[in-house]
Amino acid sequence: MVRYIIRRLLSFIPVLFAISLVIFMMARALPGGPFDFAGDRTIPASVVANLEQKYHLDWPVWRQYLAWVWDALRGDLGPSFYYRSLTVNDLLKQTLPTSFQLGVLSLGLALIIGIPAGTIAALKHNKAADHASSFVAIMGVSIPNIVLAPLLIYIFAVLLGWLPAARWGADYTDYALGFIPPLNRQFWEHAIMPVLVLGTALTAVIARLTRGSLLQVLREDYIRTARAKGLREKSVVGIHAMKNAIIPVITILGPLFAAIVTGTFVIEQIFGINGMGQHFIDSINNRDYPVVMGTLLVYSVILVVANLFVDIAYAWLDPRIRYE
Amino acid sequence: MKSKLLTFMGLLVLAGLVLGACAQPAADDSQVTELQAQLDAALADAGASDEEIAALQEQLETAKEAAAAAAAAAAEAVPAEEPMEPQPVTLDYNFGTEPPTADPSLATDTTSSNLIGSIFMGLTDQDDVTKEIVPSLATSWASSEDKTVWTFQLRDDIPWVQYNTTTGEVDPVLDDDGNPRIVNANDVVYGVKRTCDPNTASDYAWLLYSIKGCEALNSADPSAEDFQDVYGAMSVVALDDFTVEFTTEFGAGFFPGVVSMANLYPTPQWIIEDKGDRWIEPGFIVTNGAYVMSEWVHGDHLILEKNPLWPLWGTDYGSGNIERIFGVTIEEASTSFAMYQNDELDTAGVPLEEVDRVKAEMASEFKNSPINCTYYYGFVTEKPPTDDVRVRKALSMGIDRATLVETVTKGGQIPANTFTNPLNFGQHAEDPDIAPWALTEEKGGTGYAKAVEMGKGLLAEAGFPNGAGLDILLMHNVSEGHARIAQAVQAMWQEAYPEMTVSVETQEWRVYLDTIRASSAIEQVPNVFRLGWCGDYPHANNWMHEVFNPDEGANRIRLSVDDPQVGDLVKEYAETTVAAQVASPAEADALYKRAEILLNDEIVGIAPIYYYTTVNVTKPWLERSFDQIKRHFFQWELDWDAKQAALEQ
Repeated sequence: MVRYIIRRLLSFIPVLFAISLVIFMMARALPGGPFDFAGDRTIPASVVANLEQKYHLDWPVWRQYLAWVWDALRGDLGPSFYYRSLTVNDLLKQTLPTSFQLGVLSLGLALIIGIPAGTIAALKHNKAADHASSFVAIMGVSIPNIVLAPLLIYIFAVLLGWLPAARWGADYTDYALGFIPPLNRQFWEHAIMPVLVLGTALTAVIARLTRGSLLQVLREDYIRTARAKGLREKSVVGIHAMKNAIIPVITILGPLFAAIVTGTFVIEQIFGINGMGQHFIDSINNRDYPVVMGTLLVYSVILVVANLFVDIAYAWLDPRIRYE
Repeated sequence: MKSKLLTFMGLLVLAGLVLGACAQPAADDSQVTELQAQLDAALADAGASDEEIAALQEQLETAKEAAAAAAAAAAEAVPAEEPMEPQPVTLDYNFGTEPPTADPSLATDTTSSNLIGSIFMGLTDQDDVTKEIVPSLATSWASSEDKTVWTFQLRDDIPWVQYNTTTGEVDPVLDDDGNPRIVNANDVVYGVKRTCDPNTASDYAWLLYSIKGCEALNSADPSAEDFQDVYGAMSVVALDDFTVEFTTEFGAGFFPGVVSMANLYPTPQWIIEDKGDRWIEPGFIVTNGAYVMSEWVHGDHLILEKNPLWPLWGTDYGSGNIERIFGVTIEEASTSFAMYQNDELDTAGVPLEEVDRVKAEMASEFKNSPINCTYYYGFVTEKPPTDDVRVRKALSMGIDRATLVETVTKGGQIPANTFTNPLNFGQHAEDPDIAPWALTEEKGGTGYAKAVEMGKGLLAEAGFPNGAGLDILLMHNVSEGHARIAQAVQAMWQEAYPEMTVSVETQEWRVYLDTIRASSAIEQVPNVFRLGWCGDYPHANNWMHEVFNPDEGANRIRLSVDDPQVGDLVKEYAETTVAAQVASPAEADALYKRAEILLNDEIVGIAPIYYYTTVNVTKPWLERSFDQIKRHFFQWELDWDAKQAALEQ
């Protein structure tokens, strides 16, 4: 197992190099450049030349790429072209922890509610509890965040005045270990609505997946065998069925985790949360190459690592899966 | 493993809920009073046993102790958290987006200008009410006869200050002799030259090209040997400590407006050279304005504190009372509005879909106010069929501007018949001598019905009776608002000229700007494109000359003196906007009127559609102004008692 992990970690090196190349080319493939216009004003060539010189855009592309990779290896993702006094590192330091907190809480909520809900639905297949749970899940999937979020804001902030309408209740200046916020009242008051909105959609996804997968497993021969042996239903489901049924959920958790903790544009936009998703979209619109590339690179690293964890979890859950 | 994770997450959520719900300790005075009453009752009651009374007495003692301890703690806590001085008068404000910079030389957008205008002070300013250029750091100015040499006399009492992040005080910056460092002419010279300096790489350097030597400096190679000479040769000089002189490339009557832009503000050379790109961060940044920046969490909020060393507090210019500004950077209009409704903001914009409701239900808080921008459709004058002036004119006539602003944009926008926004010197908005068909009859125009009749006649003359055979491509950048307007205009055109066809295309902003460049291939460009223009400084030169003079600016409408139909008019237009630069104010005004007639009515290079407004709500306790270049927070008045009373409810 340890050898497997080491081998996988080593394989990250070529993978991440390949990703970095694709990211670099994709950013450059966006039509138009960062300094074509100021607002809608065209800029004289002399001004553009100064800007390109300052940010080395006048270098040959291969040299720009190598310089970027070299800096990235040393942990420097370069300056932002749009926020002229900030670097990509600054932006990530300020936004990634926020997105991470929001993502982890939402995902946690989704797991806590989604897995039991899916399990109950599968066990009460085609009974009232199943229909109720499916109905709620479909609602969760089909009500878009863009509708649910303003609705919650309207009810709990504008009408009732119980919660603040927007923003995150902590900022990067007071995080422990760089990402743990002070878990005080202010934090939770601000977190509850965005976590609920983001969590709802995720809960629905996870509940549906758990239900479908568990239903399938429950029809397997080995479950019949287990029951035939006279095992109690609790251990049939809880130990024998769940372990296999959870594998699809674990599979989706890898990419889901990476996608959620690196920011969700809609939620961040509506709740005015200073997260990575919002900066990523803005950076594309601004053709802010270093920010586009930096955020994608961080996302890729998280995705690759999350998938490694998923694979390790497989081996733990399913004795048939063994890595050499 | 999973269950551990779940347990951990569960605990995390629970802990949060518990902490969140955690109330004040129960031992308070009311409990003491209640126990005392019980004890009194028990004592009075002959039937009460001694045990009961003893128990109650004990409870009472405990409660009294707890209450005393709580009171002592509270007494201790209060002075620690709230010093003797009252809380500062705080404005909760939404900047609308993260300001891209606080560096005056690099500012290109209104958000940055708002921030910079609050913490720095430039030579001139624009009055919120009269819209005139008024003194700020400069007390007076004069120009040579031909308007090429401009001399500004500076105040001698504005200190450079720096916010001390340790003490929370605003400290004066001291010079080598230990005296407060006063903003002087050299600081202005440095600030202006820095914008033109190629090492600064300012996007907006070209706006200063009217200053002699700026273009040469901006185009120079910083590593060249003669760079220092080029730097020195730029014609902005300090005649003495408090007099600065600019020489312009040509007569520039609009120059006092130019120096109101952030890009020409004085900046602190020593800090910039010491801290590099980071100099604008709180703790480093040295400023000379009404406020100082004490905190800037990028992407989330920034805090401005009153600069007590600014000598203009209490004068007419610094008449406001706001001591602290908590500025958030919420982009979503509906979120910002929800925060306003929840008393988290003192003033906010109103999202389009809420305008009707807010107007009806919150009339006293609602205000729409003009801003210095014009929305227009440009015609590509080289692409058939809009290469025919009659077609362009008929299209412009076919837009029912009054209906458009009432039913589509709804924000109180003003139908436009000219390009230059009414908030500028040299404007002729709603003058019925200019494109009268764009104005309603009440405003002295012809009204829409007549305009359509005239348009039909022009189209017939051009060989498109009723629009037959006329095929127009209209393009705009992706945006819901622009799409609504384009659909409305499409419908208006097709109703007015039933046989014409109009197709609408959209592109993402950067791609769009690339498409409509004057240099892109004629097959790529549409016949009609939408754009807006917002003034950099309040003078018609920034509009008529810098945008549409065929020898200057972007010329996306491809005006050419060789145009077979309007070539002569284009030549006249070009000469008119140049002549206006050196003319006396009265002459310039007349020249700009002629230029508007040429652009909108005779050449018909554009169809002006409306002058922008912003739609805002403001809490009753705030008195604010609506301004063009920067927010004059230092002139706003906030009734702090009223605000606090409202928040406590």
